[in-house]
Amino acid sequence: MKLGESVRMSWRAITGHKLRSVLTVLGVVIGVGSVITFVTLGASLQAAIVGDVATSSPEIAVTVGPESQGGPGGGGGGEAVPVFTEHDMAQLREIEHVEAVVPTGQVGIAALGHGNDTVRWPSMTATTRDSFAGDSFQSGGPFEVGANEAVLNPAAATMFAENVSAGEEITVEFAENDTRALVVAGVLNESSGFAAVAASGTPAVYVPTDPFYTTTAESPATGERERAYPQLTIRASSYERVDDVEPLARDYLENESDASQLKPDSYEISLTTNDALVEQIQGILSTFTNFITGVAVISLLVGAIGIANMMLVSVTERTREIGIMKAIGATRRDIVQLFLVESVILGVIGSVIGTLVGLAGGYAAATLIDLPVAFAPEWFAIAVAVGIGVGMLAGIYPAWDAARTDPIDALRHE
Amino acid sequence: MTDAAVDLHDVRKTYQMGDQTVHALDGVSLTIPQGSYTAVMGPSGSGKSTLMNVVGCLDTPTEGVVEVDGVDVTTLSDAERTALRGDEIGFVFQTFNLMPQQTARENVELPMTFQGVGRTERRERADDLLERVGLADRLDHKPNELSGGQRQRVAIARALANDPAIILADEPTGNLDSETEAEILELFEELNAAGNTLLVVTHERVVAEHAERIVHLFDGELEDIERIDQRRIAGEGTR
Ligand SMILES: Nc1ncnc2c1ncn2[C@@H]1O[C@H](COP(=O)(O)OP(=O)(O)OP(=O)(O)O)[C@@H](O)[C@H]1O
Ligand SMILES: [Mg+2]
Repeated sequence: MKLGESVRMSWRAITGHKLRSVLTVLGVVIGVGSVITFVTLGASLQAAIVGDVATSSPEIAVTVGPESQGGPGGGGGGEAVPVFTEHDMAQLREIEHVEAVVPTGQVGIAALGHGNDTVRWPSMTATTRDSFAGDSFQSGGPFEVGANEAVLNPAAATMFAENVSAGEEITVEFAENDTRALVVAGVLNESSGFAAVAASGTPAVYVPTDPFYTTTAESPATGERERAYPQLTIRASSYERVDDVEPLARDYLENESDASQLKPDSYEISLTTNDALVEQIQGILSTFTNFITGVAVISLLVGAIGIANMMLVSVTERTREIGIMKAIGATRRDIVQLFLVESVILGVIGSVIGTLVGLAGGYAAATLIDLPVAFAPEWFAIAVAVGIGVGMLAGIYPAWDAARTDPIDALRHE
Repeated sequence: MTDAAVDLHDVRKTYQMGDQTVHALDGVSLTIPQGSYTAVMGPSGSGKSTLMNVVGCLDTPTEGVVEVDGVDVTTLSDAERTALRGDEIGFVFQTFNLMPQQTARENVELPMTFQGVGRTERRERADDLLERVGLADRLDHKPNELSGGQRQRVAIARALANDPAIILADEPTGNLDSETEAEILELFEELNAAGNTLLVVTHERVVAEHAERIVHLFDGELEDIERIDQRRIAGEGTR
C-alpha cells in the first residue's frame, strides 16, 4: 500500500475516533509538556542560583612578582613592575573565548578631597570601562575613557566628612601645587565584585587609564613606548571557558609576550583563577545538569508510559478491524504501516501542542516563583523525539502482534 | 494444475473446550471444481462457517489438506495466504465485518487499496459494484447508517472488488427481502456464468436450489452432496 493511502486512511481513523484520538494526543501532550515544564523550571532555578553565587565574572588575574613569593592571588607580594604592554593586551584579546582584557595600574597621588575635607591618600587605581562590566552601581555608572572622571567604591564614597554620590566633584592632589577636580561618574554597590578591594572595605578610587595612567615601557615586539601595567585581568566568556583560556594565555605570556622580556629575570608571571568560585559554580552547573536530567528522564518515563498505554488500548480496541483488513487482503506490513502513520500523526500533533504547553507552563511556573526564565532546548528535542518514538513503538507493537494472529481470531475479538 | 478450484482432504477442525473436544469439522473431503456453483446447508452449528473460513484461508485446519488452485495452503506462510485471499478470494461474512468508520464506498474500495489499485479506478469500480447491489444512493453512508440488508449488500460488493476467482458467501441473503435476494442471486448467476467459482452457505432451500449442487453438513461431517437437476434461475423468476 502506498504511503499516501496510509496517510489518508490513518487520518480517517483519527478523525473517525475523535475521543480516542484526543485522549492519545493528550497522553503525548502531558508527557512532552511535563518534561519541558520541569526542564525549564530546572534550568531557570540553575540560572537563578548561579546568578546569586557568581558575584564576579569568570576571570583570570595575571600578575608578575618575585619567583618564590608569588603565591596565589599574588600582586600583593614584591614590587609591582609594569611589564604588561598594550601589545600584550591586544594579543591576549585574540585568544578564543576571551571576552575582555582589563589592565590595572596604580596612579600615585598625595591626597583626595571632597567639599572642605581632605584625606591623605597614596594612590588611585587606573583601569578601563571593561572592569565594570557586570558590576552594579549605587548611583551613576562607569567613567568615560579620556574624561576627568572617577568611580568610587562604597568605602571611598564614605571616607570623607560628607558622603559622595555620582555627579559630585572630588579633588585629587597629585603633588604639591598639582590639584585637579574629577567628576564622580558612579559609586559601586557594596556587593559589586571588581577586585578584592571592593569587598574588603578598603577605599578605592578608579580612574580611566587615559589620561591618568602614564607609566610606559618600550614594547620589544613593536619597538614603541606603550602604557605598561603591573597587572591584567583576563575575562573569559563563561565559567566553563576559563579552563580553555588559561593555558593559552599562560603559553603566550610565558613564551612570547613583551612581559616575559620586560620582567626582571628573578620574576615570574603568574595566572590566578578564582579556583574556588569557578569550581563551586561548575559544581552547581553539574549538579543541576544531573538534577534536570533526572527530572526529565522521570517525566519522560511517566509520559512514555502514558503514551504507550493509550496507544496499546487504542490498537487493542481495533483488533477486530485489523482482522477485517487482514481477511480482505491487507498484509502485515500494510497494517503496521497504517498504525505507524497514525501514531506518528498523533505523536507529532501531541508533541507540538506539548511543547507549547510545556513552554507556557515552564515560563509561568518560573515567573510565579520569581526565577529568571531559562530554557534547555536540547531537552525539548529529546522530549519530542521520545514522545513520537514511544507513540510509534507503542502503536507498532500491538498492531504487529494483532496482524500476526489468524484473521479469524482477530475477527472474533470483541 | 488440477481443474479443482478448492480441494479438501479429510479436513478436521477441533476446539478444545476444557475437557470437551468440539469437532467443528470432522473429516470433510470435498472437491469444488473451477467455475462451479455450490450451496452449503446444514443446521446451526454444523460447521458451515468453519468450512468457509478454512476454504477461504482465513482459518487453518487442525488436520487435513486444503488445496486452492492446486497449492496446499496449510504449507503457505501467513503473508502468502494473505496475498492469496487478496486476489483470489472474495469473502462475504455472515457478520458482514465492515469497517465501521468507513463509508460504503470506502469499504468496497478497501480490498483494492490493499492490492495497490489506483484511486480513480478504485472509486469507479466501487461505485459500479454498489450500483449493482442496488446501493447507488448510499455510497457515503457508514455501516451504522445502513440497514442490515444494505450492510449485507455492501459486504457482497466488497467481496467482488478484486474480481476474485472464488467467491465465498456465508448467508449472503439472510437479511434480504425477496426482491433484493433475487437481485443478488442474479448477480451470483452472472458471476458464475463469467467463470467464477461460488460457494454459498444458506438456510433456505430455495436459495440453495440456484446452485448446481448442495453440500449437506451435519455435526461437522459431510452428510450428502445433492445434485440439483432443476436449478432455479433468478433472472427468469422461477420461484
Ligand atoms: N472459536 C471457537 N471455539 C470453540 N468452538 C467453536 C469456535 N468456533 C466455532 N466453534 C464451534 O464449532 C461449531 C461449528 O461452528 P460454525 O460457526 O461453523 O457453525 P455454522 O454451521 O456456521 O452455524 P450457523 O448456521 O449458526 O452460522 C459450533 O458448534 C461452534 O460452537
Ligand atoms: Mg455460520
